[in-house]
This record gives sequence, structure tokens and C-alpha cells, in this order.
Amino acid sequence: MVVIQVQDMTKTFNGLRAVDGLSLEVEQGEIFGLLGPNGAGKTTTIRIIMDIFKPDEGTVRVLGQPPGMAREHIGYLPEERGLYRNLKVMECLAYLAALKGVNRSQTAQRAGRLLASVGLEGQAQNKVQALSKGMQQKLQFVATILHDPQVIILDEPFQGLDPISTEQIKGLITGLREEGKAIVLSTHMMNQVERLCDRILLMNEGKRVLYGPLEEIKRRHAPHTVQLRTPATLEALPGVACVQRHGDTFTLTLEGITPQELLRTLVERNIPVQAFEVATVPLEEIFISVVKERHYG
Amino acid sequence: MGKIWLIARHEYLVSVRRPGFIIMTVLVPLLGALGLLIAALFGGQASTFLERQFAPEPEHIGVVDQLGCCTPILPAHQERFRSFSDEKAGRAALEADEVTALLVIPEDYVESGQVMVFSKRGGFSAAVMGDSASVRAFFVDHLLRDEVDPVLRRRLAEPIEPVFVSLEAEGEPRRGPLNTAVNIMVPYFLSVLLIMTIFTSSGYLLRGVAEEKTSRVIEILLSSVTAWELLAGKVLGLGALGLTQVTIWLASTNALSGGAMNLLGVAVPVLARPEVFVLSVVYYALGFLIYAVLMGAVGALGTSMQESQQLAGIFSAMAAIPLMLGGFMFSNPNMTLVRVLSWFPLTAPTMMILRLPMAKVPLVDIVGSIVVLILAIPTVLWAGSKVFRAGLLMYGKRPSVADILRVLRQA
Repeated sequence: MVVIQVQDMTKTFNGLRAVDGLSLEVEQGEIFGLLGPNGAGKTTTIRIIMDIFKPDEGTVRVLGQPPGMAREHIGYLPEERGLYRNLKVMECLAYLAALKGVNRSQTAQRAGRLLASVGLEGQAQNKVQALSKGMQQKLQFVATILHDPQVIILDEPFQGLDPISTEQIKGLITGLREEGKAIVLSTHMMNQVERLCDRILLMNEGKRVLYGPLEEIKRRHAPHTVQLRTPATLEALPGVACVQRHGDTFTLTLEGITPQELLRTLVERNIPVQAFEVATVPLEEIFISVVKERHYG
Repeated sequence: MGKIWLIARHEYLVSVRRPGFIIMTVLVPLLGALGLLIAALFGGQASTFLERQFAPEPEHIGVVDQLGCCTPILPAHQERFRSFSDEKAGRAALEADEVTALLVIPEDYVESGQVMVFSKRGGFSAAVMGDSASVRAFFVDHLLRDEVDPVLRRRLAEPIEPVFVSLEAEGEPRRGPLNTAVNIMVPYFLSVLLIMTIFTSSGYLLRGVAEEKTSRVIEILLSSVTAWELLAGKVLGLGALGLTQVTIWLASTNALSGGAMNLLGVAVPVLARPEVFVLSVVYYALGFLIYAVLMGAVGALGTSMQESQQLAGIFSAMAAIPLMLGGFMFSNPNMTLVRVLSWFPLTAPTMMILRLPMAKVPLVDIVGSIVVLILAIPTVLWAGSKVFRAGLLMYGKRPSVADILRVLRQA
């Protein structure tokens, strides 16, 4: 089921097109990566989905409704975020949850469990300002999902977190996907995107540059490289321009043949194949190459 | 509406616990009680002492009568007034502290009305000589001694002796300069407090918005509520906070007025004119609405608390103009400038709150200023909420006047 639908959306600030004819769909039960360099238009896109900004053109639907009508079903962790430092943790959570339509008793039940899941058990009655920066980051994540939203939008959720806290948050995010929530993840941390996201959209200068399932995009950008594991010693193979060996694993760069044709050759020559995989390029490389290509032709 | 109520409740509960609010709210009744305590310690002398402070009378006054209208001095005035043959002799007596002031009546006094007043060190008592009851009586008695009956002369010297009667207070109505001073000063003081409340409450709004913006809570809030709901909730919550403060002050002043009656013999006219009280609350509400929305917008525009406060100073200064005119208002609460400012939306609330207890304000000014405010409020709300919304998400850069105008044009 599509939970977020954006169609030909445009937003201009002072003559500058922050978002230019963008279309995307986010489905229930997936983690959707919204990527792009600084100033690509990611935050503007998110703010329009959250009804903080109005689009100049195009349509946006969240859970089948115009933005703003589904606020209570969306959890939003903005990049520019903070908490009421003078309030106690539970007071702060109760207020933010109440604005999402959750009463105090429901908040108390869910908050206890969620605080424990990020290692903040026992902090409910402490003031927010008494928590470390990392703890406050985790508390913000708890506040984002406290009202059990169907759609969760996370803008740089791992910013400022140590590796252990990052793992805790990642665990929660994948758990939410298992529960059938739709998660939009905007981040610069490509390694996290590769490990978490099902589909991605790469934006540059307000436009959609890449869009689709992550694995498919990665393969599409590395069609000429194959990883082969074999105990045999490889001799010259037709259509293979370069061979790199790492133990019993070879990385083969193809020229003029497809991976299927290489596999057929290996079988015909009785070379034992223990593993054969069309190699993928790290997302970061794809990101850089696509953005550079757009910038410099 | 539910979310507006939630925000209002949150703002109220957070601000009511602020030390600044608690201190300010408690301080006013405490100072009143302290004043009464001091009065009680001094017993019956307090009233006399305060009367002297409010209406000081020189004890001995020298007179050099170059015209001859006040010579010889009538027996009724000989205790206080002493005649000198010339200015030199009078000055010498003043230097020797035999008299505390010297009046020189020139030959053209009847035409010009001018009398030279000499005092050793200037001071308040010399400055208010023209208003001194005994000096007035001295001149009226001597100028009209042969033509007018003594009772009528006394009435001419002091045409009215106001007797303020408080229906709530028990006991005999009292009279005297202290009573007069209290009847002017207490409502004026309460008016100033009411105006201060407008600024402290809208100041909390300014501070709250600036804090939420600098601590980056604002975008989290905007994911749950609209900018309009956020502003409306804050205005309602902090307006209620201001009313709480005013109610506590009025209730405590009313309670303390019983003590003032017993100790000082003065009826404190807190609720002596209910229409003034009701209208003051109306102007408070209208004034708070205008200033709170402006403060909210300004709070959203600033990139830091200091910057927001600097921007807010423009509006605070405008609203403080009526307070600066306090001196003129005492002499003529219905003067043209005061009336003009009563019709200008940004000064009308504070001007009218100050004016109402001091005089009978023309009905046209009351109706006119309320209508002007009611018409101005939707405009301020519209523009304020647009600027508020636009300013909330601008970090690091304060919008220029051109940016603000563009926001309003695009709205």
C-alpha cells in the first residue's frame, strides 16, 4: 500500500527551485532512503510532506489525505531538532505525545518500554538538560515514535550518535519496518542507507536523479564487474579485461561480454565455481559519480 | 481547538512556575503589606507623616508686601506669616532660618498675579507654594477682607474638600490630602501594574518562542500543530497567566485596603468604580492580544533571544509612550494628545488603562478606541501569524524588511 505519494511537486524560494517536479511513492513496510548532497531539496521535500511548507505546484498525499490531515499518524524527527531542556523527560514526552493525540496513561505505558529499548530506563523523572547530548538524541527518537505512527520520517537520525547508540536506533528502525510501518530515512551516511534501505531516491538540485530498489540501482551501476570464488587458478579468459585476486576470490572486469556469457565460459572450461556474484558498487561511489556527472557533465 | 487548549495549558503551567513570575506576583502584595506594617508600627503618626509628605506646608513664611494689600497681617495668619519691611530684611531672616520661605508681593501683583518665592535650597515645598492651602487662604483673606464674608472667603480659598466614600469600607469617610493622593495614586499604580502585566506576559511569549526556535523544538511542534494553532495556544495560555497575576494583585490590594482604612484612615478605591475595573480588563485583553501576537512574530523573527528582545523594543517603546505622559495626564487626562493616543491601536490599550481611573473619559473615546482595537486585531493577527510562520524556520539569518513584506504579499 502506498502511504506517501508525491506527484510533480515544485517549490521555489526567492526564485530558486528547491524542489523541481519531484515524484515519489513510499510504501507500507519499507525503509525508503531520501538521499542527496547538501541543498538538494531533501528537507524542503520532507517539510512539504509534513505540511510545514506548501508546494507551489504538484500534489502530495499522505495516507491518502492532503498533508496536514494525517499529522497524528506521522512521526517526524527533523534535522534541526531539540527538546524542552527545563522539563522532566516524562513531562516532555507527555506534552509532545498529547499534541499527537495520545493521552497520559498511554504515553506512560509506551514511554517506559521505549526508553528502556534505547537504554534510558530510570531517566523519566530527570530533567532533559541533565541528559548527555547522545541521550537527548535517543530521547528525541523515542518522542518521534511514541504515538505509534504509521509513517515515520527521520532526517539524519544517526547524527551525533556513538556506534552503540546507532545500533540501538537501527534495531528500532528495522523493528518498526517489521511492524509494517513506512519509514523515510534522510541521511548522508551511505553505509547506513546500504544496510537499512529497501528503496532509495537520490535528489540533486531539486530533481530526482535515481529512484528505485537499492539492489537494482547498485547492480545497474556496476554491470561490468563480477566476483568469483574458485580454488582454480584463472588463466586468460575471453572478454575479461582485468583480474584482481584476494585469496580465493577474484574480481573480474568484463569487456564486451555479459556476466551470463562469462559464467557459460567458466562452465564450458570446467572451472569449479564456488561463488559467482555480479559485484555491486558502494552506494557512496554511485552517489558521488552521479552528483559529479550532473554538476560537471 | 483541542490542540490550542493543550498548548495554552502547557504554556500556562510552564510559565506559572517561572521564578520571575512568582517573585513578581508575590512582591506587590508583600510591599503593600510591608507598608501597612510600617504604618502600624508608627501608630497614629503614620497618617500625619504621610500627609506631610504628600502636601508639605512651610512652617513659617516671610512676606514683603510692596503693594500693601496684605499689611497688616490678619490675626488668623499671624502664627504662620511674618511681615518684613523690605526684601533685604526678609532674605536675612531666610538666611537665619527664621522663616522657611519668603514671599515678595510686587506692586503690580493684582494685574500680573506674580509673587516672588524665595527659599534657601529650592525644594519641593517652595515649588508647590502656589498650591498651598494656607498661602491661598492668606491671599484670599487679605484681598477680600472688607468685601466678603469670612465663610465665603474660606470657600474661595478652598472651593472643594473631596470626601471619598468607599461603600465596601466600614467606618466614617475620611478626608484630607492623603486621601486625595491615595485616590489618585492607587488606581494609577494599579493601571501601571496592569500595563506591566501585558508586557511581562507577552514577554514570556517572546521568550518562549525565541527559546523554542533556538533550541530547535519548533519544527517538532510544527509537525504536530499548525503555526496558527501554536501562536493561538501561546497567546491564550500566557493571557490567562497575566490575568492570574492581575487577579491576585487586585484581590490582595482589596484585602489590604481594610488595613489601610484602619491604620491610615484612608479608603483605597480599588473597586470604587466598577465600570473602570471592567473596562480595564477589556483593554487588558485587547492590548494583550495585540502585543502578544506582535511579540510572537518578533520572537519568531530573531535568530537569538537577544536579537528578538531588541526587535521587540520597538513595540515596547511605542506602548510605553502613555506611561511617559503620566505627568501631563495628572493635570489633564482628557488633553488632545492623550485623546489621539487613545485612538491609535498600539497605544490605545495602555493609554486608556491609565486614563480611566483618573477622570471621566468621554464615551466617544471609550467606544472609539475599542472599535479601533477590534478592527485592528484581525489585521495584526493575520500579519503576525504570517510573519510568525515564516520566521520560525529561518535559522541563522534574520529576515530583512523586504523578506517580511514579501511574506505578507505572498500570504
